[in-house]
Formats: sequence, structure tokens, C-alpha cells
Amino acid sequence: MKKVFAVIMIVALASTMAVFAAGGKEAAPSSVKVGFIGPMTGDYANYGDLISKGVLLAIEEKNATGGIAGKVKVELIIEDSEGDPQKGLAGIEKLSSSDKIVALTGPVFTGVSFAVGQRVQDEGIMMVTPSGTHKDITAIGDYVFRTVASDGLQGEVSGHYFYEKLGVRELGVLYVKNDYSQGLYEGTKESFESRGGKVTIAETAQIGDKDFKTQLTKIRAAAPDAIYIPNYTAEMAQILEQATQLGLKIPFLSSDGFSNPEIYDLAGAYTNGVVYVGPTQVAESAPYKKFVADYTKKWGFAPDSFATNAYDGAYILFDALEKVYAATGKFDRKAVRDAFAATTDFPGITGTINFAENGDLVAYQGVYKVEGKTPKYVGTFTVVDGALVEIK
Amino acid sequence: MGSSAEFFQHLMNGMTLGGIYALIALGYTMVYGILKFINFAHGDILMVGSYIGLFTFDAIRGQTLGPWTIVAFFIAMLAGMLFSAGLGMAIERIAYKPLRKATRLAPLLSAIGVSFILSNMAAWMWGTKSRKLEYPFDNTPLHIGGVSITPHQILILIVVIVMMVSLKLFVDKSRIGKAMRATSLDQDTAKLMGIKADRIIAITFAIGSALAATAGFLIALEIKVYPSMGTMTGLKAFVAAVVGGIGNISGAMLGGILLGLLETFGVALLGIPYGLRDTIAFVALIIILLVKPEGLLGKVEKEKV
Amino acid sequence: MLNFILLILIYTGIYALMAIGQNLITGYVGLLSLTQAGFFAIGSYVTAILSVTYGIDFWITIPLAAIVAGFFGLVIGLPTLRLKGDYLAIATLGFGEIVRNILNNWDKVTNGPMGIQRIPMISVFGVRVSPYEKWGFLVLVWLFVLVGYLLFERLAKSRIGRALEAIREDEIAASSMGINTTRYKVWAFVFGAAIAGVAGSLQAEFILSVTPGAFTFMVSIMVLCMVVLGGMGNFKAVILGAFLIQFISYFPQLVGLSNVIPPQFKQVLFGLILVIMMIWRPQGILGREKRNAPGSFFRKGGRS
Repeated sequence: MKKVFAVIMIVALASTMAVFAAGGKEAAPSSVKVGFIGPMTGDYANYGDLISKGVLLAIEEKNATGGIAGKVKVELIIEDSEGDPQKGLAGIEKLSSSDKIVALTGPVFTGVSFAVGQRVQDEGIMMVTPSGTHKDITAIGDYVFRTVASDGLQGEVSGHYFYEKLGVRELGVLYVKNDYSQGLYEGTKESFESRGGKVTIAETAQIGDKDFKTQLTKIRAAAPDAIYIPNYTAEMAQILEQATQLGLKIPFLSSDGFSNPEIYDLAGAYTNGVVYVGPTQVAESAPYKKFVADYTKKWGFAPDSFATNAYDGAYILFDALEKVYAATGKFDRKAVRDAFAATTDFPGITGTINFAENGDLVAYQGVYKVEGKTPKYVGTFTVVDGALVEIK
Repeated sequence: MGSSAEFFQHLMNGMTLGGIYALIALGYTMVYGILKFINFAHGDILMVGSYIGLFTFDAIRGQTLGPWTIVAFFIAMLAGMLFSAGLGMAIERIAYKPLRKATRLAPLLSAIGVSFILSNMAAWMWGTKSRKLEYPFDNTPLHIGGVSITPHQILILIVVIVMMVSLKLFVDKSRIGKAMRATSLDQDTAKLMGIKADRIIAITFAIGSALAATAGFLIALEIKVYPSMGTMTGLKAFVAAVVGGIGNISGAMLGGILLGLLETFGVALLGIPYGLRDTIAFVALIIILLVKPEGLLGKVEKEKV
Repeated sequence: MLNFILLILIYTGIYALMAIGQNLITGYVGLLSLTQAGFFAIGSYVTAILSVTYGIDFWITIPLAAIVAGFFGLVIGLPTLRLKGDYLAIATLGFGEIVRNILNNWDKVTNGPMGIQRIPMISVFGVRVSPYEKWGFLVLVWLFVLVGYLLFERLAKSRIGRALEAIREDEIAASSMGINTTRYKVWAFVFGAAIAGVAGSLQAEFILSVTPGAFTFMVSIMVLCMVVLGGMGNFKAVILGAFLIQFISYFPQLVGLSNVIPPQFKQVLFGLILVIMMIWRPQGILGREKRNAPGSFFRKGGRS
């Protein structure tokens, strides 16, 4: 009897869902669909959540003003990649063929970005990733953009800055074996050693590790001038805390993962003194402060730099959609891509945004020093012809 | 390996890592000992228990550290244990009990299903962010001859030993413990002898789950609380339980500590990249299973024809 | 919409290959192995590395993928197949994790966590079978499934297959009747691994990139679920099982609900189905194939 009941329950559930789906499928020319792909479940779900909410906030603000041209509402369709390229591909297939999206925001991470990027390039849908930092992603083709600096630039600025401004000569590194962390390590090592510095010890950790004491003990013994930890927020919090427990007195250097304010909840006072390279001067600008306040008010937690990038990416996309709609009265995928690529000097909350020929963000890097639990902005930097340049 | 201080530091790190494995392995080994199936949901029960403990602790603790925070910490731990015990019993009743007579695969898959449900429900209800469990005491490390030891590390090692000893006494001496052993040896015979096997199994689940919550709550101080916190650590703890001899309480402890030391010294002494740490654990597992299939302290089970 | 359905069918085909292998190992021999993800990964990387780094054609890499995966099946099978039940499960699961671990750390060969991109597409007599034109790829994948099905079905119906079933029903009786149980078990394992390698090779060609993160032990568990859900010891049933699991996984997206319901719902639903299925029908939807071959003699024997 119970079994029969269970079966009925499932069938009922399934049919309700089917009805729902059929009901939701009316053709609405008064809206334009945009897709998002990111890890909404699994170990990195936190990132998918934070970033998608940056896009959602932008869309709600836009729709509150009536939408594109004041009348066409923007609709966001979120698909879960579970951090797996296979699921990401299924997501883009569904977004492309069922939802008929005109553009894609995301994917979140490098692995999925490569798989999905090749697909959108072939299909002719533009994508703009707020967080896929691998330097080769934009090399896929002319439909792939990003509103995040590539590993290449961040690594270059980091290496030069550590050597030149901080006077570090022997660098220790603790990085995680994922694409983001390793990409930054390799970029930084290359530029740091090109200046004559030396990475004396580079320890690795596994994805999901929470115990870094073994590596830190080894680094303590090697006694470098500073330790570079290009990791995600939760891991960095662990590292800082455990370093203090081990009595490590070596200064820590970090990456844009440190721009997530969650770090100050998780690591508290251990963040004091950390120097990190991340997105430029965002803490200074008024639109940025408004964004952080709005985001925090709406979702109950603060955005990280990736969510901020996603928000900017969404507004650049709206801008492109406006132009295309004004010119043609509809949303052609190729026209949207062209309008997006033609963006110049866009006033984003992270500063003035331009895209390079290959779809990369023309970006500078900001350097921050944490005092107590507050990041203080040190300056804006970039690297020109192998030399560190400060942008005033 | 530079100095003796570094060696002892690694030793201490390895011991606490092993202590964590041992803590989780104790619960695992009890459940396995009696039902003979890998309870894949054990790590998720641990996670739920940690969340409940965290919520309770945050609700009742004050802002300043003191004797009360320590009391509050143990009250919160108890809350997590009780909730997990209830959860474990409910899961056993709904998802495993109907499968007592099925093939061995059925409960395994059912357990995987339960694990899916628990971890995703948690992510849904409580979000995917890591939550910090505040230390109830001052965790400033002690420095003894160049070796740093935190009060938390000492606490973990003490709890492991206390739990192991009391569990061992309970299983060896108490009436319920004896009934557990009988049920574990042969369920049908145990029933014939007047033991209510179903009740004993439920009690075992409750204890195993409460142990999981204890372990989770203690390690949460260091690794934070998040929906997938139990998955990989749980798996490693199961490896530890198998290495030590599954169903054997001292074995779980031995296996856990051994695994922790192996991982730490494999990296520190042999220079294996830390990224390959899981490989060390699993290679050790395979070797030990081959040499001594019943585990280090396990009893040889003769195959019945 | 059509493209999305075709994609699900392509994934079904790729997983069906793995499920066929798992069925030989678990359904026929009764070995609880949890390592298809490892062989799947090996197959994927063989194709990725050979075609990207060395420019070797897909049609040469695919038999190599099968051979390399099969070889690792032998390497892992020889020692571990002496283990019983859950011990084997945990040891094989460990092997799968080791594979992923090594792929993630052996930067020189596998490019570590960055993975390998821009895998050249398959071509058949000069015609490109692009994963973007789904019909062609679908036909290709299901041709492999058909060949795999016929081969394994034949193998299972042969004397070897009966010996394997004998081992499952009563290993001691089987060995006392002169069956070299270890050798048969290892062979089943090697074949099961090889076909998972083929599946991996196809997967690499469909995704056109490989990353170690895609080969977690969840893949092995999914494949096992396909076999159990469909019906152990029945090759048609496990292909159905592969379809069902894929269908369930993508159901919310298929009906356009993935954007409405919380993303975790799909996983919770999957877990529920697993639990209910085990309680309601642990023998799977179609159940074991019934036949009056001499093999069934052993079924009457006592259980160990």
C-alpha cells in the first residue's frame, strides 16, 4: 500500500511540474531573456549564488525603470552547472534552444567557461564571464568577453609589486590545485622571478582542504620574506588562522579572492596586515558604495568582487541591448554581440570599462593593505613593457 | 626536515588531524559493525548536528569568553548530539530498516540517496556559506620549545580518548553493549536469544549519529560549518575505520591516528606534494586491505559455505 | 528544445556504455565496484592528450583509450578483487579518487587543474562530426552503444558469462567446480573498464575539453544507480536505467522549471527517488533477465 502511495506521489509531482511548465511558456515579445550559468549546488555553490545575485540585482533595478527602452523587461534564466562542464553544456543547450536567450552572463569558473565558451562561439551567443580568470578563455573567439581581469594581468602586477614596492626577494606560496589558484601562482611566479626574485617554497593543497598546518609548518621552516596565498575566501581564512596558531610571523600577500568581505567574518583579526592585489579602487567610488548597500540590503550578505563584476557586466549588456533595440526594434544575437564589443568608456561601478580587441577587460589592478579588519586602498597599478606603473 | 622542533610540530599536526579522523571513525565503525553497510549519510548527519550545535551556541553564548561560554558550548554540543541521534534513528527507520533482508547494494544506494537529501536540504535551508563557530575559550597557542599547540588540539585529543574509553566500556560491559555485540555477530541468533535486534540497531544508530555530531561540532571550530563539510572527511574517516579494523573501537582510533600521521609525514618527510594527500590515504588503505583484509585490529571472519 | 533532448540522449549513450561495463562487473559477477569514474577519466584523458599534444586522430585514440583503461582495470583488479563486498567498494572508490588526484597534480602531462582544451573534433571519412550538430554525434554515440551492447550481451551468454554468474551466486561452489574465479573476475573488470574508457573518449570529444573536476566519485555512483535502477544482470535494463537517470537529472530543465525551483530541489528529488526505489523495487525496474540457461542452476544454491 505504501509503495503504491509513493508511486502516486511521484507521478503527481511530475505532472504538476509539467503543468507548471506548460503554463509558464507563453510567448512574450515584451521581454528579453538573458542566461546565467554557474555552480548553484555542490562545493562551490556559494560563488554561483553570490554572482547570480549581482546579475539579478542589476536586472531588478533595470526592470524597475521599465526595462529596455522603458518597456521591454529583462528576464534572467539561471542554470546550475554544478561546476561540471558536462552540466554546463546541458545548461547552455537548454538556454539556447528552449529559452532562446540573447546573451549569457557567466559561466563562473574556468573549466565550465572553456566548454560553454566554445559552444556559444559556435552558436553565436555572446557571453560575458565575471570570474573566469584563465588567460586563454577570451582566445576562444569573438563572442567571449569578461568583466574580470585575466590571471595574466593580476599575476604580473602581483609579482612586480611584491618585488619592487614590498621589497620581497624570497617568496613562499601556498596555493590550491584548482584553475584559479594555480593560474595566479604561475602568473605571479613568472613576473616575480623575471625581476630577480625567487619563489623558494611553493606548497599545494587539495580542493576542499581545510587543514593547512603541514604546509605552513614547512613554509615556516623555509622562512621566506612573505607568503603568497592566491586562494578562495574560505581557504584563506583557514590559512591565516592556522598560521597564527603555528606562530608564523611572516607577512601574507593575497589575491582578489580577498575582496570578499566574508573573509573578515571568518578570519577576524587574523586579516590584519595582509596586502592583496585585486580590483581597482572600488572601495572609493560612490556608485560602488551604493551597490554594496543595495546588494547587502536585498540579499542579507555583502557582494564579493566577482558579484560586482557581474553587476557591471549586466549593465554593459543592458547598454548593448538598448542600442540594438533602438536601432532595430528587436534583439538579434549578433547585433547584441557587436554592440557589446563596441562598448567604450562605460561608467561601471568598478571604474571606466573598456574591452580589448580579444574581449578581455582593459583593466588595472588595485593594491590594498588590511588594517585591523578594514582594507585600505594603496593605489592603482598596471604593468607596461615589463615595468610596474602606478596610475594616478 | 630541518630541526627536531619541526618534526614535533608535524607530529602534533598529524596527531590532531588523525584525532579528527578517529572521532568520526568511531561513529562509523559502530554502525558498520552492526549493520555491515557503509552509511554514506554519516558525514551528512555530522553536518546537520554541527549546524544545530552552531545555532544553539550562537543563541545562548554571550559576547565575552568565560566559564559560561564553555558551559554553553557543551549545551550546544548536547543539542546537536540529541538532534543527530533522533535524525539517525529516523533515517534508519525509514530508509534502512525496510532493506534489512535486501541485497547489500540496496542499503548502500539508499544511504547515498539520504546523503543527497540531507546535504542539499541543508544548502537550501541554511545557504552554502561557511559559518564560523566561535571558540568558547581562548585559543591562543602555547609554544613549547618551538612547537605550537593550541588548546583546541589538546581538546580534540582528550575527547577522542575519553570517547574511545567510554565507548569501549559501554560496549564491553553494559547490557545494551553486549546485546549490540550479539546482534553484530548474528542477528538471527540474537533474536532467538531474546534480544530485540531492531531496538538494538536503532540505539546503535542513535549513538553513532550522536558521536558524529560531537565530532562535527568539535572540528567545526577549525574547519567551519558548511553543507559539504562531512563528505570528504567522512569518507577518509571510513577509510580510517577500515584500516583499523571495521567494527573495532580501538581500531578506529588507531586507524584514524595512523592515517593522520601518514598524510602529514608523507608530505613532510617523503616530499610528496600535498595535493596528492588523498592518494596517500587510499594507497595505504589498499595495501593494508591486501596484507590484512580484516584491518589492523579486526577479527578474521571465516567465510561460511 | 530539440537540441536539448538530443543532448540528453547523447549523455544517455555515453553513460549507457559505462553502465554496460558496470553491469558486467556488478550485475553478472556481483562485484561492488565504484570506480567507473576513474576509467572514464582515463579514457577522456587518453583521447585529450593524444589528440591535442600529439595530434593523433580520434579513431586511433579510442582503441587506445579502451586499452589503457583496460590495462588499469587489470592493475587495480588483480590486487583488489580478492576483497569482499564493501571493502572492494571502498578500495575501488579510492582508486577512482587516486586517478582524479593524479590528473589534478601531474601538471606536465595533464595540465593539472587547468585541464586540456581545444580537442580536435571527430571526422568520419573527412566529414566532421561536430558536437554542435547533434544528430550526427547522437548516431555515432549510439552506434558505439549498439556495438558495446551486442559484444557484452554475447559475452554474457557465452560460457564465460555463465561462469561469471556462477561466481556471483556462490563463489566457493564455483571455484570447487573448477572455475578459476579470480581470472574470470579480473577479466570482467578489464572489459568493464575498457568500455568505460571508450565512453570517456566520446565524452572528451563531445565536451571538447577535459578537466579533472568532472570525474568525481559521483560519476561512479550515478553509473551504479543506473545499473541498479534498470535491473542488474540485464543489459537492456541498464541502458534504460542510464536513460532514466539522465532524464531525471535534466527533467527540471526539460520542462523549464530549473529557473523556478531552488537548484537543490533536483538533487533532493534524486535522493528521494533512490530511497523509494530501493524500498519499493530493489531489483530494478526490469529486474534480472530470466532464462533457462544452465547458469540458473546456481541460483538455487545457498547464499554465502
